[in-house]
Amino acid sequence: MSFYKKRAFRPRTGFFKFTCCTGCGFELAYFQKSLEETLRSFDFTFFRLASSAGSPEGPFDLALVEGAVTEPFQIIELKKIREKSKVLYAVGSCAIVGGIPAIKALSPEIEIERAAYKERFFGLSSTRPNVIDDYVKVDGHIRGCPPGERDLEEALASVLLGKKPEFIEYSVCMECKRGGNACVLVEEGLPCMGPVTNAGCGALCPAHHRACYSCFGLMGQANVPALKGKFRKLGFSEEDIERFFTLFGALEPSSTLI
Amino acid sequence: MTGASASQKDYKTVIPGDVFALWVDRLGEQYTLTGPVGGGVTARFEDISRFAQMDLDYQSTMLPPGKRYLFEPAEEILSYDISGESNIPGNNRETGGKQQKISVNLPGLPAGRRALIGVHPCDVNAILYLDKVFLRGPYIDPFYTARRENTFIIALNCKSVTDLCFCHLLGAGPYLKARAGYDMLLTDMGRGKGFLVELVSEKARELFDIFSSGRPPEEKDLSAMREAEASLLKGFKKNLDMAGLQNALLSRPDHHALTETSDSRCLSCSNCVMVCPTCFCHNVREETGLSLSRGGKSRIKKIRRWDACQDISFAKVHGGNFRAKRHARLRQFVFHKLDYEGQLGTKGTVGCGRCIRWCPTGIDLTEIAMAMMK
Repeated sequence: MSFYKKRAFRPRTGFFKFTCCTGCGFELAYFQKSLEETLRSFDFTFFRLASSAGSPEGPFDLALVEGAVTEPFQIIELKKIREKSKVLYAVGSCAIVGGIPAIKALSPEIEIERAAYKERFFGLSSTRPNVIDDYVKVDGHIRGCPPGERDLEEALASVLLGKKPEFIEYSVCMECKRGGNACVLVEEGLPCMGPVTNAGCGALCPAHHRACYSCFGLMGQANVPALKGKFRKLGFSEEDIERFFTLFGALEPSSTLI
Repeated sequence: MTGASASQKDYKTVIPGDVFALWVDRLGEQYTLTGPVGGGVTARFEDISRFAQMDLDYQSTMLPPGKRYLFEPAEEILSYDISGESNIPGNNRETGGKQQKISVNLPGLPAGRRALIGVHPCDVNAILYLDKVFLRGPYIDPFYTARRENTFIIALNCKSVTDLCFCHLLGAGPYLKARAGYDMLLTDMGRGKGFLVELVSEKARELFDIFSSGRPPEEKDLSAMREAEASLLKGFKKNLDMAGLQNALLSRPDHHALTETSDSRCLSCSNCVMVCPTCFCHNVREETGLSLSRGGKSRIKKIRRWDACQDISFAKVHGGNFRAKRHARLRQFVFHKLDYEGQLGTKGTVGCGRCIRWCPTGIDLTEIAMAMMK
């Protein structure tokens, strides 16, 4: 009992899920290294994956939101969460850049519905996917699929310390080079998305001789046309190139060149 | 003068390759041996146990040996513990404004001894450049100093040049002209003829106990060396009037060669800076982690990491970003390498060509400079 001794300040925390695989929730509740500290330091008053008790009513010191917005009712819920939370962080690629659920943005809804349900399903109100930034003010982005340990800890610790979190904003290449990995793009000609992808994963894929597939989403000022040009030179087809860039970035503007 | 040159000559000897290899293996008893493994332009410096594991015919490596081993990619420079009930500033109101106790922990300085074997002239010159940054001026870096003192540098004159090398324009290669700042210089005398070994430092004279088993170099050895150097010099493809660049690039800050290259090809990925042997920029961040109250203590670490001017957050300061545009960041890299001699009294490049080779889109700073000077 003394181990979980009540701290004077345990932020009341809610974890909310929209359209996604719940992987970010899993990361927070089961897989991250600082699980004990997280449970001790935060009062999870609403976290469905961890406990069926608790209420989403709030108020919250901290709201963590995963998933993309793909249904109208989610917009209303999201706005309510924002209203009753002091700090709101978007967690994971779906909430921040659209991620996997956003792939459907590339086709008309009617085709998606037919492909998924064979016939018109009138109870369905799924819309074009969007990120949560489109609807509410977000205080920070804990990027990743699932989030990288470093950004997750930085965000949570910042709430405890009352400071502004400092998230990683540079490319995967910087982490990759610091790790001394062989460059899979220049040396092996693999379609590595590292040069345009936000770091935070520790260059996990390139360290294992795999091309980065941009699961953290594009970094700020990613030069998409330049990397597409490189992939063309390596001999990849336009269709392939389009797929590399829309796997996690279907909602990203096709050019973020500044 | 004559005395100095005579004594320098005294510390030259020609040693058979196998004898030298045995000496290196023996050096491994006192030093961690680190040398080039895997050949060509994608060799890498790795810790080895025997001389035979190295490929001294290598042309280049991705990470430069000096920067990699003297200036760590990431290291903890300080940590501090906050003890007490709580470390939350807002919480002090609830605890009656109780003060937190902070104790600072200094990590021990790096102590391991390392021998860097087969360092090319450009990379030795890059270490001399890093020395100016970390060992001079009002702030001397204790970590770099400790590693520098514990590192035994065995330089190796180049045996080939690549299409991207331009060290000859800067006097940084292909044969090493610097006569201090490293320990030994090797020149491969060719098939079966062994190495010409020059002992540059006092330390080398102390450690190289097989000096007398070599033979003093004869005139034909020295002329063979000169011939080899002359033939290497003919192999360079790049040409640029380096002396004419100082302050000249700076007067054309928005030249279209820069803006067009940056818009169409620069990914802002910072690979150029990461692989540059002279790029010394770093940031220091406090990492709290979540182990905030283990044992009633909170440990906060200050970590120093390689940073890069191509990164969008590099120039972000209160009130804005003074290099918000991509071409402003590329310009910083190109000018720092080819123009800003005022900073440390020499150009920021040693002509190793790594930034060109490892740029995913092959941006070439010498081509940009040439287009700008037209």
